[in-house]
Amino acid sequence: MNLQQAVPPRSSANGFGRRRVDRETGARMDDNRMHSGKPTSPNFGLANGSKVGGVAGPSHDRLIYIMTCLVGQRVEVLVKNGSIISGIFHSANADKDFGVVLKMAQVIKDGSIKGQKPFNDTVKKPQTMIIPSRELVHILAKDASLSSDDGHAREKRNDLLIDSVISHPHHVEVERELERWIPDEDVPACSELENIFDGTWSRKWDQFETNETLFGVKSTFNEELYTTKLEKGPQMRELEIEASRIAREIEGEETHDHHLAEERGIYFHEDFDLDEESRYSAVRREADGGRYEENENSFLDAHNMETFGDSFGSAVSRSYSEVLSKQVSSESLASSTCLSADEDSQIPADKDAHVSGFTDHVTWPSSDSLVKSSLFMDEKNRLDDKMTKDQDAEKILLNECRDRIISEEAQTSKSEDVHPSTHLKGLSPSAVTYDPPSSDQINKCPAGESSDSAISGKLTSANEAVNTSLRPGCSTSSTSEHVGSGSVSGGPLSPSSSVGSLSSEKSTLNPNAKEFKLNPNAKSFMPSASLRQHTPASDGSFYYANNISAAPHMHGISMGIGIGPTFGGHHPVVYSPQAAPLQSPQAYIHPNGPLYGQQMILGQPRPLYYMPTYPAEMPYKGRNF
Amino acid sequence: MDGANGEEFAVGCILAIETTLGDEFEGQIITYDRPSNILVLQEGATKAGTGRNLRLLKANYIKDFTLLGRGEDPLDLKKCYVDLPSIQAREEAALRQAEVEAERIGIGVTSEAQSIYDALSKTLPVYWDKTVIVVMKEVRVCSPYLPENVSGGTPAANERVKKVLELERKRLQVRSPGQF
Repeated sequence: MNLQQAVPPRSSANGFGRRRVDRETGARMDDNRMHSGKPTSPNFGLANGSKVGGVAGPSHDRLIYIMTCLVGQRVEVLVKNGSIISGIFHSANADKDFGVVLKMAQVIKDGSIKGQKPFNDTVKKPQTMIIPSRELVHILAKDASLSSDDGHAREKRNDLLIDSVISHPHHVEVERELERWIPDEDVPACSELENIFDGTWSRKWDQFETNETLFGVKSTFNEELYTTKLEKGPQMRELEIEASRIAREIEGEETHDHHLAEERGIYFHEDFDLDEESRYSAVRREADGGRYEENENSFLDAHNMETFGDSFGSAVSRSYSEVLSKQVSSESLASSTCLSADEDSQIPADKDAHVSGFTDHVTWPSSDSLVKSSLFMDEKNRLDDKMTKDQDAEKILLNECRDRIISEEAQTSKSEDVHPSTHLKGLSPSAVTYDPPSSDQINKCPAGESSDSAISGKLTSANEAVNTSLRPGCSTSSTSEHVGSGSVSGGPLSPSSSVGSLSSEKSTLNPNAKEFKLNPNAKSFMPSASLRQHTPASDGSFYYANNISAAPHMHGISMGIGIGPTFGGHHPVVYSPQAAPLQSPQAYIHPNGPLYGQQMILGQPRPLYYMPTYPAEMPYKGRNF
Repeated sequence: MDGANGEEFAVGCILAIETTLGDEFEGQIITYDRPSNILVLQEGATKAGTGRNLRLLKANYIKDFTLLGRGEDPLDLKKCYVDLPSIQAREEAALRQAEVEAERIGIGVTSEAQSIYDALSKTLPVYWDKTVIVVMKEVRVCSPYLPENVSGGTPAANERVKKVLELERKRLQVRSPGQF
């Protein structure tokens, strides 16, 4: 019978009581002999298994089914003496007794010898083993799949080689438990390593010298090969001092960038919330320019807080609002809230108008000499010169301008900040870029004293424009301070000083952003394919392939032809070099729309510009050049 | 025979069994075959997925058992199809795999030798020649697998094998002190 074939004759079952391979090779040979006669293919005669005893049909069937499912899987067989044999399930005798045949089997746990595996236990080669029924205690199949479906799935999964499979981890011994390194007691020399770099620039230690001493290595390093040669002249000392001062200034600056802060040794009190990842690894994402804005905002806020206390902000904001509501013309309000900076040329014009308007409305205190609005116009020209604003000057102005709200053309105003600038100053569009004052100057605030004229504007009648108008796009300075001039309590403000921030409430607008102005010459943005279908081509540019423009009079038609296939799938990507940029980009073509109808628009052979409009939810992150 | 024989095992019951050998396990009955006295249990009854341990236990080794509960028939009779060819293929694949793994095992070598062989095989191509480890087809390391037993091959290769052997021995010593 099939069944019997798979299993060695019962008579020799006894012989296989030694299915556990002994140390001696003799037993091994016996086994080898025995299994050679077995067919390699599994014996599926089991399925036809005789129903001994007739009863237990369904149960028996189940057993057969399970055994069949197990074929080919690795199982562990526990035998009577406690040993465990691991092997691939090959076949079993489902008759009266339940003997199993395992291929490539070996004893993995020796039950006869208690305790650890003996040191000089020889390794056995796996072979086919037969476990007679009476020895068998149980068969354990780990992660067995019982249904064919599962098996297929698993096999498919196994087809994917994962690293651990490839590297055969079972060969690798388990690494020992890792312990944290604790320096030994007797390692005194290491202490030098710790403080060797304590001084930021210790000129006492020469690595090359040390190297040569220790190892006899002669170095050919010449620093000047890699850096600019320092001129060591009589000016050296002064230059060094100056450089150190500047360095100190920079390093001492307050920053809200955590990385910079850490470098400089500034520890935020709220730092405990940050875990290692956010401190050293994570990418900090903010809106474009947001970083500046954030820094400036907080920076300025900090300054403001320092100088004026917490209540100031609210007070000023309130006053701002009041004035704003009264005075602000729609334009100015709009402009004030408009945080995008615009080109310089635009601003002055607007501002001038505003300024003059404002001067009518507002009587500005003129504590000191405030430049009159008439002078304002001149300021524009001078604005470029105004650069730095000292903090003290700002403070003066702030103090004086406290009660005044300066509604200012938006450009410079940074809506978020509560800016103490209360003085309406002529807007200096060219903006005075306001450099963040160094911290050590903050407290220098001679009251009533006009510091830089540039700064206080009002201070000198020099008509120095108050640099309050800060060009938001200009980065660093921001806002508000604009304050600039203004004596709050004082007399009429001179419109010369540009007013900064308007609204005190924080808005979500980015004060540093430039106002969007359509640039007809801008390069078109090629949206992703998904956008293509829906974007009506507004005025914009649209590039078509070279060959199309070759036939001028057939322009429209060739466009059609060209466009059809070209743009059927995606936007054109080729720019026709012979076409000059279109000055008035009113012509547009919807790539999928009717092309012929728009021939008239095309007129001369010129590139058609196609600029897709963006869906509302997609912020325009491009730049207008 | 012990009492296990006389009981009717219902399919789907969850039992906690203790064997005469001292093993304890729980599982859900898949089937019980009276002629062969085999109880088929499925362990990890609550676990979803295909990874469950299957235990075919000879019922006469059951010392004691407790009925933990009753469950449904773990075998879905509608799905019980045996795909013979795939099973055969699976077995062949498993055998091939096992043979490959068996190649690395030396015949009649000590486990110390086998450990050294395994350690060397991590970075060097090695194979067994009876009880001699052959590295890079040239360098031979014979028992007792000490650095001085390294012979053959180019001086460079020889040196390299010696070094690796030393290091591996050291590492093995750290891991299982007293053995080497």
